[in-house]
Amino acid sequence: MSREKILCIRGLKKWFPVRKEFLASIMGGEQKYVRAVDGVDFDVSAGEILCLVGESGCGKTTTARTILRLIEPTEGSVIYHGEEITTLSRDSLRKLRIKMQIIFQNPFEVLDPRMSVKSLVGEPLKVNNLAPNERKFEEYVLEALREVKLTPPEDFARRFPHELSGGQLQRVAIARCLILRPEFIVADEPVSMLDASIRTEIINLMTELQHLHGLTYLYITHDLAQARYIGERLIVMYLGKIVEKGPMEEVIQEPIHPYTKALVSNVPIPDPTAKRKRIFITGETPTPIDLPKGCRFRPRCKEPIPRCDREEPELQQISKGHWVACHKTSVKLKGKEQQ
Amino acid sequence: MKVLEIENLSTHYLLGQEIVYAVDGVSFNIDAGKTFGLAGESGCGKTTVAKSIMRILPYNGLIAGGKIWLDGQEIVNLTEEAAKKVRWRKVSMVFQYAMNAFNPVLRIGDQIMEVIQQKERCNKEIALEKAKSLFKEVGLEVSRLRDYPHEFSGGMRQRAIIAQALACDPKLMIADEPVTALDVIVQGKILDLLNKLQNKYNLAVLLITHDLSVIAEESDHVGIMYAGSIVEMGDVVSIYKEPLHPYTAKLIGAFPSVVGEKTKLEFIPGAPPDLISPPKGCKFHERCPFAKPICNEKRPEHREFRKSHFVACHFAGELDLRK
Repeated sequence: MSREKILCIRGLKKWFPVRKEFLASIMGGEQKYVRAVDGVDFDVSAGEILCLVGESGCGKTTTARTILRLIEPTEGSVIYHGEEITTLSRDSLRKLRIKMQIIFQNPFEVLDPRMSVKSLVGEPLKVNNLAPNERKFEEYVLEALREVKLTPPEDFARRFPHELSGGQLQRVAIARCLILRPEFIVADEPVSMLDASIRTEIINLMTELQHLHGLTYLYITHDLAQARYIGERLIVMYLGKIVEKGPMEEVIQEPIHPYTKALVSNVPIPDPTAKRKRIFITGETPTPIDLPKGCRFRPRCKEPIPRCDREEPELQQISKGHWVACHKTSVKLKGKEQQ
Repeated sequence: MKVLEIENLSTHYLLGQEIVYAVDGVSFNIDAGKTFGLAGESGCGKTTVAKSIMRILPYNGLIAGGKIWLDGQEIVNLTEEAAKKVRWRKVSMVFQYAMNAFNPVLRIGDQIMEVIQQKERCNKEIALEKAKSLFKEVGLEVSRLRDYPHEFSGGMRQRAIIAQALACDPKLMIADEPVTALDVIVQGKILDLLNKLQNKYNLAVLLITHDLSVIAEESDHVGIMYAGSIVEMGDVVSIYKEPLHPYTAKLIGAFPSVVGEKTKLEFIPGAPPDLISPPKGCKFHERCPFAKPICNEKRPEHREFRKSHFVACHFAGELDLRK
């Protein structure tokens, strides 16, 4: 891809310390960590929609929040337009946040029920001192409301959150984020709380705004089918690591990693005549505290090879832009090279 | 054999001086061994239908009209005492939010045994044996009967709830959003388990969910609910392949898929009507792209348009719903 990379993430880690039990703390037991994000590398190109999928607890939200430094990373680097942001001071970070925004999952919880839509949408302007006077302030707010299609904006500006439906609330949340004219937006499951009939409306709105303002999204979802309709590239995470990443259609139609395969095969299809075979994987996702040595998917994998017990697989490129972290693919790749 | 027959059920909630017409004239049947999928968006009355069948409506809810036959027995007019005998033994329910369905301070095994002891009037030993066999049935280790709910993962809790629902060998199982909060892989396993149990016990299942993808894969017959009424009902293939009601067509079109061609996803502008004062004519007419004057005036009848394919729309069969 020739597009400019606006964000480069390298070796990003976030380990949360586990509180020690009383006895262990006296005996000086070893400090344990929840390895929520455990070495993640990827790039985000300008103007793309990059989807991050995985099951609950795989670290997708932690990854996104660590990138924005809503949570401090344990290790690794996040480079935004050539600038390392993991070491920025609070002041410079605040300026940067104007360019990097986030839309949260649950609009019912995000918006203060006592604030009017006008003050909710305008709050970021106030915080960042971006409105020179009251007249400008109002003008910006109304424009943002118009952009998210809450019309007539004058009417909506006066309302309070309890007077709005879920879809309208999410539009307010989007307006609140757009009013700063950001460049990069993390959308963390923005439609999962909404009814199916209005999901598409919000998704369409988000893509329209993307074209209009040249936005870049990191779109987090647990729903692969939804990701397919929104994004161009897909990253699949499992237990804090990327197991597969690549062009959307290629990864979904021809997944390589056994975890991705199982994930895709279990997505229900809204067609009663479609026959799919679910691939089951045994057991449940372990907690990312005591991770197995070697590949972290090994305990649930159907076809492990001895190497999986010893070494953790690295991401390897198997075709243009398609990366997989599995020893079996690397064996196959080597076989191909030798032929 | 019909396990459940519902005829013209209406359930209302009293809200101060006002009445919420939550369920308004719903009729459907479920045969033994079959799954009926009841689909619709939040607030359309799906769960209220389930609660009416279980007779567990909240204090301000009442069945205002209609009949429900469960395994041949009419249950709307039963006294609370008599309804208790039906509950769990003829009909049981797998609740939404498996996370919260168990009491967090009691062992899971004790909670399952409580149901068995209460309903079957048996002693602890027999109940324990039954609980053990139920746990095996749903794929849980027997030793975990002594665990507390927090020690179970979401998928395991859902299995435990299914075990509890099977405790008294019911004829009908109501599954209200049984997999909504679960990850896809766990979701697949739970649906697979439900299928196996259904075949083994010839259970009738009422599957309630907003997720049309799950309904498509699991149901034999489908009812699409909107604002308290079933707008379209029929066997699963004809509903998905030849929908007659604009709402059904739009709703199906709103669901993305991982297979097949990427088509444009649909959405329905506006919001469902307020059920305290539902619109006079067709309840969908305000959001319907095909609405004509008559839709505002006259409520469309629920009619059998094709064999076993019911629809409530004045213009069924005359519209090009692909637009």
